[in-house]
Amino acid sequence: MIEVKNVTKKYGNFYAVRNINFEVRDGEIVGFLGRNGAGKSTTMNMITGFIEPTEGDIIVDGYDIERKPKKVKKLIGYMPEGTPLYSDLTVKEFVSYMADLKLIPKKEKKEAVKKAIEETGLEKVQNNLTRNLSRGYKQRASMAGAIVGDPKILILDEPTVGLDPKQVIEIRELIKSFRKNHTVLISSHILSEISQLCEKVIIIDKGEIVAVDSTKHLEDNATDNITLNVVVDDINNKFLSIKNEISEIKEIKLLNENEDKTKEYLIETNSNNDIRKQIFSICAKSDITILEMKKVETSLEDAFIKLVENRPEYSQKEIKKMQYEKEIEELREEEQAKKEEKANKKQAKKEEKARKKAEKENKKEAKKGEEDK
Amino acid sequence: MLAIIKKELKSYLLSPVGYIFIGLFLLIFSIFFYISIFQSRIINFEYLFYNGATILTFVTPVLTMRMFSEERKNGTEQLLLTSPRSITSIVLGKFIAAAIIMLITELCTLMYFVILDYFGNPSLEVAISTLLGFFLLSLAYISFGMFASSITENQIVASVLTIGVFLAMWFLPNIVSILEVFSLIYKFESFPSGMVSVSEIITFVSFTLLFILLTIIVLQRRKSVK
Repeated sequence: MIEVKNVTKKYGNFYAVRNINFEVRDGEIVGFLGRNGAGKSTTMNMITGFIEPTEGDIIVDGYDIERKPKKVKKLIGYMPEGTPLYSDLTVKEFVSYMADLKLIPKKEKKEAVKKAIEETGLEKVQNNLTRNLSRGYKQRASMAGAIVGDPKILILDEPTVGLDPKQVIEIRELIKSFRKNHTVLISSHILSEISQLCEKVIIIDKGEIVAVDSTKHLEDNATDNITLNVVVDDINNKFLSIKNEISEIKEIKLLNENEDKTKEYLIETNSNNDIRKQIFSICAKSDITILEMKKVETSLEDAFIKLVENRPEYSQKEIKKMQYEKEIEELREEEQAKKEEKANKKQAKKEEKARKKAEKENKKEAKKGEEDK
Repeated sequence: MLAIIKKELKSYLLSPVGYIFIGLFLLIFSIFFYISIFQSRIINFEYLFYNGATILTFVTPVLTMRMFSEERKNGTEQLLLTSPRSITSIVLGKFIAAAIIMLITELCTLMYFVILDYFGNPSLEVAISTLLGFFLLSLAYISFGMFASSITENQIVASVLTIGVFLAMWFLPNIVSILEVFSLIYKFESFPSGMVSVSEIITFVSFTLLFILLTIIVLQRRKSVK
């Protein structure tokens, strides 16, 4: 389980990520979605302990990465962006070195390396130098380095960038096979990939989290109104008139006039009700033959665009203002704390004085008592 | 740490870098050997290492410039620093690998001793003291070279910085004589005369440790700056 709590990373005055919060539970495959420069890699680098957050905590499997880095790093297999490899090693040597770096015991190492190479389909090229590999194989070698030793958590930064379609499918299948016993966090800006692989999506934009939700839910919520695509055989050109009979229809657009004289229409509605039945019965009455009718599915793409678009961009001025306000707040708190401290000290002094007085009196009394005796 | 040493040695010996370093050093060393025997007519093993120290000034960067710069440039730094290995063991691993290459080079120079021994009668004790001093000097140089490599991702900048500082240390005492405390070459010169003093050894060792430590600090700091 990965918990990211109030994490901020600042470079000078620039916020790479600002106050992000999310959770990846055990056994989940979570997609990390965002435009270029949204803060995906920064976040992943922070989770893997490559960079430190300016503020906030990252907890992996109950261990804080800043306090127990060794324990956390042992749990994570990381495939960084751009597939860095040691060019003067062969694939096998590279994977075996990664196993060494991950402190895999010597007895299990050979088996682990073999397994990683097999899983990523690198047997054929395992004795080639990594610098001579093609792009796809480099990607796989990097992946093999990440999965060697079966780490509990896999963090893959754009694992399919630059691959040909067949390789993409293979890598995706590989990632799907991790589902059973790994927790996976994948970043990507390819939406179809995320919607195929992941059950949960985290959408990040300009360093802030915009949505954390299931893929399906996001897709369903992308549009509020149903849109239908209809192909009809309509000799008398009556189809446009059904708009008057169903109130939910907002607009009917002619998309295409096919060669076989059928017509393709797009029906936009202004509600969430399914009006296909009504359309069907009306068409049947007015001698229109429906050849095809389907709901236009909204995609993750639409959801993404809807979420990311129209988000306010913080100007430098606003950021400065926010910082300023924060500083003032901090100063105030400090002052408050100082005041309290002073008050406490005064109180303590008073008590001390009272105590001393009481002691003196006690002594006096004791003396008096002795004298009296 | 052993894994890192092994991998680094492999990188040195499977790429031309290691051979360039050893070859270059021995080539220039041989030229000095030739000159001292045939032109200056001095048959003296220790004397050769005054020149050896000069060579070291220029060839050390071959060994050290890639240590961290290359990792940073290729992004493999991410693999290293996200592994459970500590930064200290990474730095020490790399340092020891370079030191082993240096040791191999130095053992190669023993052939000149054998040649001299065949024709003359060089003193073994002085030769050992010289080799010890030379090794300590080279460790100090490697540690500085490694530090230079850790602060930049450009190998050329790292090597120029390394050579620049070595040259400055070499020549500064000629300008201001007090600065000879900072001159490692100057400190080294007592070894070939057969006088091993604790203060020189401490200087070399502490210089080495200082820059190993600084390298560790640089890498640790980069976590929060990067």
